Amino acid sequence: MTVADQPSFKARADAALADRTLKTAIERTTGTAERKRAAALSTFPEFEAARSRGKAIKDHVIANLDHYLETFERNAVASGARVHWAATDEEARDIVVRLCIEAGAKRVTRSKSMLGEEIGLPQALADAGIERVETDLAEHIIQLAGEHPSHIIWPAMHRTREQVAELFKADHVPAPDAEDPASMVQSARRVLREKFLSADVGISGANFLIADTGATCTVTNEGNAELTTTPPRVHIVTAGIEKLVPSTAHAFALLRLLVRSATGGELTQYTTFHCGPKRSGDADGPEEMHIVLVDNGRSTMIADEFREMLRCIRCGACMNHCVVYRQIGGHAYGGTYPGPMGAALTPVLDGLARSRDLAFACTMNGRCAEVCPVKIPLPTLLRAWRVRSWNDGLEKGVASAAVGAWAAVARRPGLYRLVSGAGVGILRLIGTTGWIKSLPFVGGWTKYRDLPAPSGGTFMARYKAERGKEAAK
Amino acid sequence: MSARDRILAAVRAGLGSRPQAPSDIEAEAASLLAEPDEIRPRPVDTTLVEAFCTKAGAVGTTIDRVTDLDAVPAAVERYLAAQGLPPSVAVQPDPALTGLGWEGVATHAAIAPDEAAAVGLAGWGIAEGGSIVIHSAPDSPILLAFLPVHHIVVLHTDRILPHLEDYAATLSEGGAVPRNAVLITGPSGTTDIEGSYVRGAHGPGFVHVILVAGEVR
Ligand code: SF4
Repeated sequence: MTVADQPSFKARADAALADRTLKTAIERTTGTAERKRAAALSTFPEFEAARSRGKAIKDHVIANLDHYLETFERNAVASGARVHWAATDEEARDIVVRLCIEAGAKRVTRSKSMLGEEIGLPQALADAGIERVETDLAEHIIQLAGEHPSHIIWPAMHRTREQVAELFKADHVPAPDAEDPASMVQSARRVLREKFLSADVGISGANFLIADTGATCTVTNEGNAELTTTPPRVHIVTAGIEKLVPSTAHAFALLRLLVRSATGGELTQYTTFHCGPKRSGDADGPEEMHIVLVDNGRSTMIADEFREMLRCIRCGACMNHCVVYRQIGGHAYGGTYPGPMGAALTPVLDGLARSRDLAFACTMNGRCAEVCPVKIPLPTLLRAWRVRSWNDGLEKGVASAAVGAWAAVARRPGLYRLVSGAGVGILRLIGTTGWIKSLPFVGGWTKYRDLPAPSGGTFMARYKAERGKEAAK
Repeated sequence: MSARDRILAAVRAGLGSRPQAPSDIEAEAASLLAEPDEIRPRPVDTTLVEAFCTKAGAVGTTIDRVTDLDAVPAAVERYLAAQGLPPSVAVQPDPALTGLGWEGVATHAAIAPDEAAAVGLAGWGIAEGGSIVIHSAPDSPILLAFLPVHHIVVLHTDRILPHLEDYAATLSEGGAVPRNAVLITGPSGTTDIEGSYVRGAHGPGFVHVILVAGEVR
């Protein structure tokens, strides 16, 4: 999905803010995620050291990425897998669709992969007339709803249980027994079971690519990845080139960070390493395994400050702790990846001109960087996009004019004191209750929240007064 | 130029010139795993077996302890009865299991899509998170751990390792990496509807470990 042909970010955010059901759904999931993560870290005092090590492991891999790509390729080929390379999303789509057609695939099962979304795989399979069955419960929900993921860990978190029940009742035969989550999960299990076993191709992503064994690693809680990759004749993996790690032990060091940060668990229920196709005599497994290594803009990030973003292990903690994400949800961001990490990544994938708003939709409170398990300085990266956007001349218009006026005043200290002092006086007059309900020129702020009225004078005025008191002592 | 060459060229252009020899890269990678105790959780109990049981219990795995492999069929029979299931299971076609005396339980090899219960052998246990590990092999179908509602796993106590890294080390020592290696940490579950946990999604809703004292036969 790209941000092209969509309403503006402001329009999308406005619509999201007006949606009370959405607000409820987001709060239920992110609130739980935040609490569970905190509980998991309270029993893992080694987290800070593990975080530094995780950062160092990812930095080491990116600094030697060519070496690790070639090592992985060599070992994956030795295991019997076929390795394909895709420089762009289009190349990646074409490779996967061609492999499906060559396999004579009518039905394809898919285990959740954000990279698959990034390269537009769902649409490409539909265009090729291949039936796509999403097997992750959340992906199943949004497939029925005809939507895109709104979160990288909980793609259907924008839907309440009542809405999920509606979707399942309309689609599942037989319908779910009841509307509680447990009954709905049972219903999905029933409906998808037969599809797992009759698919021609299974497509998965990878959380890690293990260089020294050539294996790909998936982590899931539902068990759908293994049911997707084992029964079909062909298993296709799509993975970004930044997913490499030197060895299985390095993957484990990152896994401890990933799971605690994502769901607050210690390990996911299933951590599976897939190393080549079925061996001779094996009881089950695919006859062919294909791995598609996807660049799609990642290599361009290596030389600049966005290289730090290549450490991202897609845990979702930054969005769970983001005040903006928790107000507007994932869809308003308009790209494949929402929240702080999405705001940093979408300009690379979709172009800055089409996603420049995202870097500005940030309060710079720094919570995302504080929780990021691989220490990505997300606010710094968003600030870098703002600077680029100014330098590229994308910030012409209202904001430029307003900031230009502010700059003109700020450069003249006497005038600045006069103007800001007058401003504070006026604000105090409007906000007699201590809160300002609406304000000319900044309606975008006061439409959804009240602005606290200033309680005293300007900082400079108070500073002078305090200095005066000090001197009088 | 092929996509492969274009990607590698772009990566190298981004990195600039580096003098790193492969042996230096390997040494640096190894150094990143030094002092593993600094970056992993402390063991929860004094013995490995107790630590495994504590952690496995915490993720919802149930445990039965027997003194001998020959006691496994009776333990399976007990479990099925306690769950209100008929005395019939799919058994992994490993001679160590099929060769046992299954008098009280009917066994079969094929795993049905809606299999109620299946018995398999774990390669390893990992105390750190209470995980069990299974490897694919001619006598070890992966679907045995995913299709049934109840996955019954036989694990020898001397196959329990302290940490994830210890299991990783067995892979590099043994040389042969299996096609599929699966770490199973508790029953299948999901939090996809409003973040609330539901046990038993696509995989088994119940994981029951029969812990056999002593060595693998
Ligand atoms: S940026 Fe950090 S916190 Fe956000 S998804 Fe990536 S790894 Fe997780």
